[in-house]
Amino acid sequence: MRKLAVAVVVLTGGLLLYAATDFAAWGDPESPASDSDVSKHFIAETGVDTEVPNMVTAVLADYRGFDTMFETVVIFIAGIAILAILKLTGKDATKTPGKRKDEVDDAPDLIVTHTVRLLVPIIQLFAFYVLAHGHVSPGGGFQGGVIMGASFILVALAWDLPRAMDRLSVDRAILLAGVGILIYAGIGLLAMFLGGEFLDYAELSTIFPVSREMARYHAMLGVEIGVAFTVTTVMFAIYASLSSKGRLEGGL
Amino acid sequence: MSFLFLANAPVVDESVQAELSRLEICGMTLAGLGLLFFLGAAVGLFRFPDFYTRMHAAGKGDTLSSLLILLGFALITFDDFSALGWLLLLKIFGIVLFIMLTSPTSTHALMRAGFEDGIEPVTNNPKRKKKGGAKKK
Amino acid sequence: MTTEEFTVCAGVALFVLMLPALYRVAVGPTSFDRLVAVNVIGTKTAVLLVIIGVLFNRVEMFVDFALTYALLNFVGSLAVARFLNRTKPMPEEKTSRGSSRKKGAKAS
Repeated sequence: MRKLAVAVVVLTGGLLLYAATDFAAWGDPESPASDSDVSKHFIAETGVDTEVPNMVTAVLADYRGFDTMFETVVIFIAGIAILAILKLTGKDATKTPGKRKDEVDDAPDLIVTHTVRLLVPIIQLFAFYVLAHGHVSPGGGFQGGVIMGASFILVALAWDLPRAMDRLSVDRAILLAGVGILIYAGIGLLAMFLGGEFLDYAELSTIFPVSREMARYHAMLGVEIGVAFTVTTVMFAIYASLSSKGRLEGGL
Repeated sequence: MSFLFLANAPVVDESVQAELSRLEICGMTLAGLGLLFFLGAAVGLFRFPDFYTRMHAAGKGDTLSSLLILLGFALITFDDFSALGWLLLLKIFGIVLFIMLTSPTSTHALMRAGFEDGIEPVTNNPKRKKKGGAKKK
Repeated sequence: MTTEEFTVCAGVALFVLMLPALYRVAVGPTSFDRLVAVNVIGTKTAVLLVIIGVLFNRVEMFVDFALTYALLNFVGSLAVARFLNRTKPMPEEKTSRGSSRKKGAKAS
């Protein structure tokens, strides 16, 4: 059985490598993906419309903002579902199924805690950089949120779950996840009240002293901040409930 | 080269760039040294008899070779003294610092987990072998 | 040798040298051996990302990827180490099997 699995893996890997030779060259303007009318439109118009250098972010947060909003909602629902299921079923499971070693002390490791103490602020700063720099370089709300969530998980790993939950309890995490979606939808609704369509950020220029292009630019940042709120908190909530079997105490 | 998707990489004219700058030579030396250390780590990981020795080879060789290779490529890419060049150098130094901090820490965490799990080291001491290497509490 | 050739060579060498670690992931007698090797491969992947960035002349982009990858690798290996430290499925069987394998490795 194991050999069969290895054979399947090797075969699939070989097929993928073989398929990779058919890729268009990196950045090839003649490749089918960049030859279509849609791509040409975005390549030509993104900089003019929104002044965002990174086209991917512009497409994600502006042109396809509705899609991204509901992606965020999907993440939120996933977090809530995991919490709810584990809270319902996890109450009976008093012990973790793997037998726990009793002779091991649960005291946090000195070296690990000191390293984490040093690293967590830097990681959170990096998360803000990734979030705020999403217009220019790869990055944005999802990536920044994941890095931010990882910093909270790191605290939970180095000490224990209660210590991390002092910083961000699961109730507050779910609250903040909702706030993130509210920020996103609120920006869209604000645009709607100002006379445009839902998520038509250019209308925001009527109340903010910026041009229509820069309104879209800045609204994208606001939207990404909402996404980052949701992703950070849902990441941590999922980790907290999964690592403690829904009891939200003890834990890994 | 087409399989490396390098079709539109800038074409380097051999006659113009006849010789390498000093920074590039330094960078290449550092990166080559790093690869040498990684060879040591890989051989150690492959050949050593027990968990602790493998961990030793992997932890030390891996960290040092990562540092050297990254520093080497930082020097190789640092060809102009523009603001972007300095920023790039700073960022690569950031990765170097990050790996320098995290790699030994995760090695330590894994080592401690293995030790408390009761993995016995290979020793010549018969007494120790009978008692086992695990810490009894 | 131009810098570009050197970069390609370094990347390929890095990849080839990851293979012994991959062997250790596949056969390593204890799960900790596998973890060490996975950790090594993860660190080296971060380095490889920087090298790919040098090849594509987009280092400023790939440096962020490398940093994120190194961070997630650290979190991952810490999590698994912590998990294996706290829970221990089937304690007797595992240690005896691990030690017997090791004795065999030593005798050979």
